[in-house]
Amino acid sequence: MSKMSMVQALNNALDMMMAENEKVYCLGEDIGWMGGDFGVTRGLYDKYGSERMRDTPLSESAIIGAAVGSAMVGMRPVAEIMFADFMGVCYDQLVNNAAKVHYMFDGQYKAPIVVRSACGGGFGGGPHHSQMIEGWFMNVPGMVIVAPSTPEDAKGLLIASIEDDNPILFLEHKALYSKKGEVPEGKYITPLRKARIAREGSDVTIVADTWMAHKSLAAAQMLAGEDISAEVIDLRTLRPWDQETVLDSVRKTRRAVVVSESPGTGGLSADVSAVIAEQAFGDLKAAVKRVTALDTPIPFSVKLEKIILPGEEDIIRAAQQVYKHS
Amino acid sequence: MMDISSELYLKMYCDMLHVRKFEQALEREFKLGNVPGMLHTGIGQEATMVAVAHSLRTTDGLFPDHRSHGLLFLKGTPGERIMAELFGKATGVCSGKGGSLHSADKSVNNFGDNAVEGSFMVTALGVGLGWQMQGSDALVAVMLGDGTAGEGAWHESLNLAAAWKLPVLYCCVNNGYAISTPVGKSHATGDLYKFAAAYDMPSVQVDGNDLLAAYEATQKAVEHIRAGKGPYFIEYMTWRWQGLFMGEFREKEEVRYWKEEHEPIKLAGEDMVQKGIATIELLKKIENEVQEEIERWVTFAKQSPDPDPLKATTNVYIGWEVETR
Repeated sequence: MSKMSMVQALNNALDMMMAENEKVYCLGEDIGWMGGDFGVTRGLYDKYGSERMRDTPLSESAIIGAAVGSAMVGMRPVAEIMFADFMGVCYDQLVNNAAKVHYMFDGQYKAPIVVRSACGGGFGGGPHHSQMIEGWFMNVPGMVIVAPSTPEDAKGLLIASIEDDNPILFLEHKALYSKKGEVPEGKYITPLRKARIAREGSDVTIVADTWMAHKSLAAAQMLAGEDISAEVIDLRTLRPWDQETVLDSVRKTRRAVVVSESPGTGGLSADVSAVIAEQAFGDLKAAVKRVTALDTPIPFSVKLEKIILPGEEDIIRAAQQVYKHS
Repeated sequence: MMDISSELYLKMYCDMLHVRKFEQALEREFKLGNVPGMLHTGIGQEATMVAVAHSLRTTDGLFPDHRSHGLLFLKGTPGERIMAELFGKATGVCSGKGGSLHSADKSVNNFGDNAVEGSFMVTALGVGLGWQMQGSDALVAVMLGDGTAGEGAWHESLNLAAAWKLPVLYCCVNNGYAISTPVGKSHATGDLYKFAAAYDMPSVQVDGNDLLAAYEATQKAVEHIRAGKGPYFIEYMTWRWQGLFMGEFREKEEVRYWKEEHEPIKLAGEDMVQKGIATIELLKKIENEVQEEIERWVTFAKQSPDPDPLKATTNVYIGWEVETR
């Protein structure tokens, strides 16, 4: 074990996979010589050279297209889209190509690509550098969405993603990049499609992801002071998400709060809530409660952004409500 | 003008007829309701397709476009499996899951069409890049329409292919119209090869209905790419017979010129007769044989079973299954 930031953990995973398999290569804007906008690929250019650490032009479609095409002929590309918001540019490549290649040609080809991208708000990045974008892809069969919340999971999930044969969006929350945590040495895998119980509890289940998992843990700490025992689930894989872990927990606590940094309309929180209502209705003591971003774009002003995004106090209030109304 | 053997000339003529007859049979079956979905045919563009097909090796890659049904079997896939795919049948090359717009065959490095125009131009970069990194001398050919020039992916692709010297052959089939819109009306120039020139890429405009000219240009491009000199762009000037869903929309004289005067199969046939390579009787015999073969493919497709219902939910993900109802 050693203490490292999420950036260092991700860098460690990439380094390990590139050393192990020469088919693994990275491409993206400023990921080579400069080491990436957030430093995730720092040092890898010197170690692996410009062929395997490819600086691209500002061509998001070409980045994803090149990743998919090379994956179709046996490479294992790790593409970086600098900010997740930019996926609007390459949306077609991801949705109509990466996610469908395996299905539409009936299994002849596969597209084992990993698309890393910095997501999320809270820092005054404004409308085009702050969004959570998993909702854009929730309705895309064939796509896998992964989002770690700890350095340990970041490393294990990135290794698992590079080894997986499906196209994977790997969302890295900017608020968590510098947060440090214990990370095991050597190669290990954190399983995909498996949620993590971040805190055990018996009164209410809080389902969250990435940054919101941290806020939910802080909220659970406060709730404990009121004798409300909250179980916090960090989804880790957002599509397809781990229904079993969530439903087991809800059947135990009989109450559910679903937290998301995205707007509620049509998003992951809507899907999680619907599945809980469909599958565990008889076990629920209160209606499922959602805590999501407001239905707006993200404004530049940090003061305004704070109004839009869910905070600890919103999660606490929601947990109190489902607890008291039952 | 390049010299080719009589044998090759006759083979290419025969292949053009395969494309023509295949498409005509499809049009007929489509009208009868036997072919679902939409149908875009490549009638009129046979010389271009045959020129490209004969310039590629089986190991070379191909991204066919929506009017490239002919290329699908010219690349090496048995014709009846292509026909069956277009009928949506279990025996189709993608088990009926791809259809006219998405027929791939990994065994001959056909990477399949992508029905979003221009989209696969950037996918082709990856195939070229992968092969370049693996030290292969294979190249990848991409079929484009003139309308594709309006897409952003077109420019991202040309730029990066040139910057990284990728083994990509851009085959721009300029048939004059993007559905109903004339190419010159909707682009800065109607001479699309000039776009490629701006990316410092060798590019040429050639008569796509002149089989030998198209073949010669393609051979030259392939040689350039194979030598590791990077991508090459060819604009084949041709014309599609298919009008719009409401009928013919082009001027009578224009239609006459392309269908009767500057028609690729007729031009090649006359040239071969004039050079003593073939007689009119031989050409007629070839045509009849091709027609019979195409009808065998149609019969195969018609008699093939529908896909197994289980196929609806397979191959969405690798490693786990999607829930069924």
